[in-house]
Amino acid sequence: MQNIGSGALPLFSFVLRRILQMIPTVVFILVVTFVLVRLLPGDPASAMLGDRAIDADVKRINASLGLDKPIPVQFLYFVKNVFTGDLGTSIALKLPVTTIIMQRLPVTLMLTLMAALLALVLAVPLAFLAALRREQTADAVIRGTFQVGLSMPVFYVGILMLTVFGATLKWFPVGGYGDTFADRLYHLFLPALTLAFSFSAVLMRNLRSSIIGVINAEYVDFARAKGLRPRIIMTRHVLRNALISTVTLFGLQIGTLFGGAVITETVFAVPGAGRLMIDSIYGRDYPVLQGLTIALAVLVSLTFLATDIFQAWLDPRVAR
Amino acid sequence: MSVAVEKIGLYPRFRRLALPRTLISGAIIIGVSLLIAFFPALFAPYDPIAFDYKALLKGPTLAHPFGTDSFGRDVLSRVIHAYTIDMQIAVFATVGPFIFGTIVGAYVGYAGGLAEAIFGRVVDAVITFPFLVLVIAIVSVLGPGLGNMYVAVGIVGWVFYARLVAAEVKVQKRLDYADAGRVMGYTPMRIVFRHLLPNAITPAIVYWMTDMALAILLGSSLGYLGLGAQPPAAEWGVQIADGKNFMSTAWWISVFPGIAIVITGLGFSLLGDGLAQLLRVRR
Amino acid sequence: MKKIAKAALAAVLLVGTSLSAVAVERGGVMTYGRYADSLFLDPVLNDANVDIWILSNLYDTLLLPTDDGKGVQAGLATEWKVSDDGMSVNLTLRDGIQFSDGSPITPADVAWSLKRAANKDNGIWNFLVSSIDDVTTDGDKTVVLKLKHPDPAILAALTVFNTAILPQKVFEAAAGATDADKAKVFAEHPVSSGPFVLQSWDRGSTMKLVRNEHYWGKGEDGKPLPYLDGVTFEVLPDDATRILKLNSGEIDGAEFIPYSRVEELKSAGNLNMELFPSTRVQYVTMNARPQIKGKDNPLSNPKVRQAMNYAVNKDAIIAIVTHGVGKPLTSYMSSATPMHTGDKPLYAYDIEKAKSLMKEAGFEKGFDTSILVLAGNQDEIGIATALQQMWAELGIKLELQQVDNATRTQQYRDGVFTMREAAWTDDIADPNEITSYFVYSPTIDALHTGWKNEEADKLFDASQKEIDATKRAAQYARIQEIYNAEGPIVPLYETPYPVALSKKVHGFLQIPLGNNFFGRAWLDK
Repeated sequence: MQNIGSGALPLFSFVLRRILQMIPTVVFILVVTFVLVRLLPGDPASAMLGDRAIDADVKRINASLGLDKPIPVQFLYFVKNVFTGDLGTSIALKLPVTTIIMQRLPVTLMLTLMAALLALVLAVPLAFLAALRREQTADAVIRGTFQVGLSMPVFYVGILMLTVFGATLKWFPVGGYGDTFADRLYHLFLPALTLAFSFSAVLMRNLRSSIIGVINAEYVDFARAKGLRPRIIMTRHVLRNALISTVTLFGLQIGTLFGGAVITETVFAVPGAGRLMIDSIYGRDYPVLQGLTIALAVLVSLTFLATDIFQAWLDPRVAR
Repeated sequence: MSVAVEKIGLYPRFRRLALPRTLISGAIIIGVSLLIAFFPALFAPYDPIAFDYKALLKGPTLAHPFGTDSFGRDVLSRVIHAYTIDMQIAVFATVGPFIFGTIVGAYVGYAGGLAEAIFGRVVDAVITFPFLVLVIAIVSVLGPGLGNMYVAVGIVGWVFYARLVAAEVKVQKRLDYADAGRVMGYTPMRIVFRHLLPNAITPAIVYWMTDMALAILLGSSLGYLGLGAQPPAAEWGVQIADGKNFMSTAWWISVFPGIAIVITGLGFSLLGDGLAQLLRVRR
Repeated sequence: MKKIAKAALAAVLLVGTSLSAVAVERGGVMTYGRYADSLFLDPVLNDANVDIWILSNLYDTLLLPTDDGKGVQAGLATEWKVSDDGMSVNLTLRDGIQFSDGSPITPADVAWSLKRAANKDNGIWNFLVSSIDDVTTDGDKTVVLKLKHPDPAILAALTVFNTAILPQKVFEAAAGATDADKAKVFAEHPVSSGPFVLQSWDRGSTMKLVRNEHYWGKGEDGKPLPYLDGVTFEVLPDDATRILKLNSGEIDGAEFIPYSRVEELKSAGNLNMELFPSTRVQYVTMNARPQIKGKDNPLSNPKVRQAMNYAVNKDAIIAIVTHGVGKPLTSYMSSATPMHTGDKPLYAYDIEKAKSLMKEAGFEKGFDTSILVLAGNQDEIGIATALQQMWAELGIKLELQQVDNATRTQQYRDGVFTMREAAWTDDIADPNEITSYFVYSPTIDALHTGWKNEEADKLFDASQKEIDATKRAAQYARIQEIYNAEGPIVPLYETPYPVALSKKVHGFLQIPLGNNFFGRAWLDK
């Protein structure tokens, strides 16, 4: 198999450069989030206390949270604390933000990872089949099924899955999150499958189209003319080249996948970071929102990095 | 597998002259959808927002082929009137991002270097930024409604196209024909837009057509959160969300709009594949 | 067969002890599906129903509400007496009461807990016990409340969650500089006075309570309460999932069943679909200020408000939104609230009357207006969509503005909203809380509407110190008369709490104030 550039050193510097590049992104996102959430109408005290709190209570509680100070001052305090590893305390949950994120984020990570794997397992073989049997019955059936998957809202698919595989067939628990690792994988299977449903449809469509494109390309004709075995042609030439745009899409969609996790986590009662995100937006829980944003920015950047490396491996010309 | 590979040698050449069948069927579906979208009143048997307290949650009958919803509104008429809004969502929410993203992507992919580095940071920022915070921020400034949904989707959506196109252009520009163009002394503009882009744009077009279906679905998610189309307007996504509590007792509220999304999405995806095929033939 | 034998055996046992008709069974853990997790288990500093409604299982109060939620019965105190001048309350503590760590519950704990609840700087519930001036102890069993003025609601207040009794020593030993900091630490592993103790809490997922071995309550079999070994709360935010999990037998009960599913679950053979009477009222708040953001406000005209009330077909809304579960309001307060008056629905649908009132008010052609709707809330959207159609008859063009809760609260608090939807549940078995918010202008300008009625304000002031129950009832009758005729709301309906329970669950209770009581719940084996 080909290597990235020539040897390990360029890869190392490539990765290092990308990691350094992540820093400004994370800082930028943090500043925007910090300011934007404070400009949203409403404040933590009113969001938390609801309709009944009288003005004096709201003022007292916002002041006790330091929210009566100007935003730049609040930001300085925040930055100072971040450097001591302190992301603050959740306003609604009254727990350290780091504790909450360490509880919730791994759940969503596991869910997203499982969904991504399931999506690949579904999409890659079926995309090949559809591309090779283009405009035949197999192609029509595969595309039709995926189109249905693409067109169904996550909450609808989720409730259907729970009804069929949970409540009726009892193959899987009806939502929730287990205690042991194995139990958790078991609990997360249906939600991951739900997420994978539309994700794999996007991947499948892209990959099918790319494969058709690559099959027609001159270099495949050339390889065929050289008399290479079909299996080698498929793996070394067709799949490798067809994957380029699919890998890009895969990386981009990880963010969307996380967005889909919000609703999936609600339907399947999974205590993940997606639900935490929604709750903290609606509750104007600024510290949690800031902490989550940092964590997510780092994670998504790392995913991009991974897809870039993978792409460079697929097509060494990319990482010149 | 091996049988298939032997086949592919013949297949494309065989088809090269005719218009792709996918293109034709896609165009028909989308054509009909557009017709309904422009003149819904011609097709709908009832007023889509009129209540009928005496016919709440009635199943499909001759009078109401798709049944009625919890307000006694005719589901068929609502599905038909929703074409107007949903075709709008599909097109308006995606066409801007597609054009802008493609241009940026082509430039970045060809120029590389600093442009690519800056672009990379922008993509990271846009993708990582919590979408919901963005939507709520926009809605709180501009008020809820479809226009603001387009703004929110547009701010994020172009990145997908840009990154897809950039990745392809990057590959294409190292192929022989691009070098040939450079040798011929063509301007970079010409090389990118006349030579590289037509080859590099295929994944973006295919994604665009998927994106249209995704946009309708996003409308559903946002409608579920109350940030999309506003009541009493009929919109498929909102209709499905409305039917959520009735999945076991009045399935027709959500199933029929769902079928409409499937058919329309299929139309767009066939159209996209057809276009992709056409572009490849032209190469 | 086995069952019958068991029942027969139970019956024999019963005859022997001559208690109730059904023999309770002990043991087991009841799993209950909630729509949202709790946030903060401090009786004084919490802010939300998700905490309030389960707190009484952890922390006991001096007095307990009766099952109908309207009266009081003995709790940690067995005797209570309000002095003739109404300026003090004497309470006698129950013999041998202990916290869950086995330490005795002393008058000092009680005095400290009540003073903490009444402290103006603590939380948002202190107004419920604002009449308390001082709390003193007398010997090892007596607690005396000294009041600033006679308070007709003081006994009801002693059943409310915020007057629950906490162990002073353990609380103060918790790490932290301020009361709020200590509360955070204490609430992680609280020492209980109620029937259950917190065992573990996985935020956003599960909360496990186990029985408090030191609880004073006695069951029907003469042994200590609670019957259950424990209660597990599972957080299941999606309505459909909650019901599916109940149907599959993974949980024993589920709260907040959507109204649209009530009929269906009533006919399900394996479930009891309970509709617990409640104090929940659903209404629309109308800003009554002459101007909003510099623009003239038609809603400031009482005739316009009345016209809009008459134009709303409440029965239709009840059918559409609550699927027949709700009933029309007969006053602004629920019929389960003490001193509620009124026996016929307010503003029965009368479109002709509505039109003539609009004409009298000079708005024959109607006007454009808007309503704030909680984004994505199906019930609120349903109501608003119906109102839009109904008010169109009067030429009123209603724009729906879906916003998130914090945005809405901000506009509400600033008094710049036009209309909004809202629901209310009492926290105390007394009309004073709802009336203070809805009617009495000094609290929050009558639901932040700017509405004000001198007579109603005076009546409320007087009623807060009136210890003659008949006189107080008359004051409340007049307040309701005024508010129901010209108040700044469109009263819509009142609804019970829909809770679905497995057939094997017995003795579970949700009182009209919303509190869930698991202390007397038990499960069939």
